[in-house]
Amino acid sequence: MNEQLLSIININKYFGKSHILKDVTLDIKDGEFITLLGPSGCGKTTILRCIAGLESIDSGDILLYGESIKDLAPNKRNVNTVFQNYALFPHLNVYDNIAYGPRIKKSMGEGEIKKSVAEMLELVQMQGYEKRMTHQLSGGQRQRIAIARALINKPDILLLDEPLGALDLKLRKYMQTELAHLQKQAETTFIYVTHDQEEALNMSDRIVVMNEGVVQQVGTPGDIYNNSKNLFVAGFIGDRNIKEVKVLQKKGDFCSVKLGNSVIYIKPDRSLVDHDKCSEMETAVLAVHMDKMKISHEEVPNSLYGQITFVHYAGSQIKTEVDVDGELLTVIEYQNDYGSYSIGDKVYVSCEETGALLLPKEDTTGRGQDE
Amino acid sequence: MNKIKQNLPAFPILGYLLLLVGIPLLLVVILSFLSRDSLGNIIFEFTPDNYRKMLDPVYLRVFLNSFSLALFTGVITLLVGYPVAYFTAGLDNKRRSLVILLIMMPFWISSLLRTYGWIILLGKEGLINNILMFFKIIDQPLNMMYKFGTVLTGTAYMLVPFMIISIYNSVDKLDRSLLEASYDLGGGKWKTFFNITLPLTIPGIARGFTLVFIPALGLYYISDLLGGGNTMFLGNLINNMATRGRNRPLASAFAVVMILLVILVLFIYGRVTKSSKESLYQ
Repeated sequence: MNEQLLSIININKYFGKSHILKDVTLDIKDGEFITLLGPSGCGKTTILRCIAGLESIDSGDILLYGESIKDLAPNKRNVNTVFQNYALFPHLNVYDNIAYGPRIKKSMGEGEIKKSVAEMLELVQMQGYEKRMTHQLSGGQRQRIAIARALINKPDILLLDEPLGALDLKLRKYMQTELAHLQKQAETTFIYVTHDQEEALNMSDRIVVMNEGVVQQVGTPGDIYNNSKNLFVAGFIGDRNIKEVKVLQKKGDFCSVKLGNSVIYIKPDRSLVDHDKCSEMETAVLAVHMDKMKISHEEVPNSLYGQITFVHYAGSQIKTEVDVDGELLTVIEYQNDYGSYSIGDKVYVSCEETGALLLPKEDTTGRGQDE
Repeated sequence: MNKIKQNLPAFPILGYLLLLVGIPLLLVVILSFLSRDSLGNIIFEFTPDNYRKMLDPVYLRVFLNSFSLALFTGVITLLVGYPVAYFTAGLDNKRRSLVILLIMMPFWISSLLRTYGWIILLGKEGLINNILMFFKIIDQPLNMMYKFGTVLTGTAYMLVPFMIISIYNSVDKLDRSLLEASYDLGGGKWKTFFNITLPLTIPGIARGFTLVFIPALGLYYISDLLGGGNTMFLGNLINNMATRGRNRPLASAFAVVMILLVILVLFIYGRVTKSSKESLYQ
């Protein structure tokens, strides 16, 4: 299960003058569901295409089971792709689409193919659709067929390029769960590309966050969500308040920072190297998940005093904007006491001691905060 | 009533078509059932004789000649045109426009002149013979003119751009990710071509074949100039009968049958493209 399967070593890729992948290094273990996550244009699809062999790499190496595959043609690599638009062959029916791989490689006889196609259709729960043409299928069905067509070849790795992008919200959510189960059932390593953090957090064993051709952070969903390593990841994953603060004092696990005119104490995660880069009396960035903050009318210790400027009601959660000395903070509460706050109320905003990140101020590349 | 209103703008065009195509066509059909006197004057009396005459083996031979010329032209232009179209579609935008320009350029010159050009190339005193003689590869000039093959060469040359453009359109519309999917699933370049590209470009091939086949059936000046009348084709026959032969009723009958042949080809084309559901592919 945890055997080293694929190693991407220092690969670089240029399209003309633009540097698409910058020294990307990744290790992928056998049986993993790994997601490449990042905004569009960050190079995640290019990595996938390099692994598939549909793009060449300009430097570095890609090892599968310890052997270089970088010079192998795509048809010689034992990896298969589920394309963004599924790329089902329109002149072939479902059966012939799925049978395409084994037939063209002559890896199975027709009898064996028949059995395998049936197995695949069962795996993706599409029995009885053999004779359908692909244009008679819905988006979700096409996607299942695309997966079946790839998995019948028993690839070492299945590469999925934003396969849920074209589906509507409800189906997308359903397919997320389906895919995660399917991956465990098929016992195949999945490398999944998406720009949707929810998808990534939902399905993956590990997530690789990318921006502008550079790997920003690799970790489990929990790691990525709670312990974002840098400002980009902090801004890209989850909904956070990201504010510039002045570090006043660092004492043991605690740290006092000044936001506007107020001072609060936080307990940033010491395991993060970057925390140590923030020195006293310098400007740093405080990043707090919106749902790890609380609002109250009564004064609570270690809180910020401000005025509510807006209340958004969004179903299970309530989003409240609070103006603290000119800095706008957003607080998300999953609450039943909707209506207890209204615009203009003076309130105290506190944050969970451990929920905050203190990151060094840096030039942020990418679109972090808007996402 | 609403339908009529919607289609109102089409009426002038319909009028033109009726005036310029419909009525002349009707006249040809009527003419084909009449006969003529020894001076070539039309006798207004209904007779199916002209159609009966066509069953003469001499005339059937002409049909066969024309049919094989059109068929071979189709095959040759397909074999020549497919690779050109395929590689053109794979070029970057700049080069692609240049190649298409080069393919279309001959249309700026009269086709009659270009046919004369082939005489300059292939004639006894022509360029090819001169070069071969100069390098002492042959000592007698080759006889390349006035043969079936000469007419075929000229016709294929004249019509090959239609084939290239038709196939180019199909190849160009082909979704590249389908080819990538085929490579990804283990197909090499050739297997991918025969399993994916070729089947998906059949509509273009059918369109090109139709566009080439129909004119090849009727072109007469190429066979006049390059064939020297040694092989008789439908186009020449109709032309000769209507002018020198003074037998316009018989010429009309041939023309009517030729039109029926063309309709048959179009019908087959319709069936081929319908069964392959082009619109859904591309």
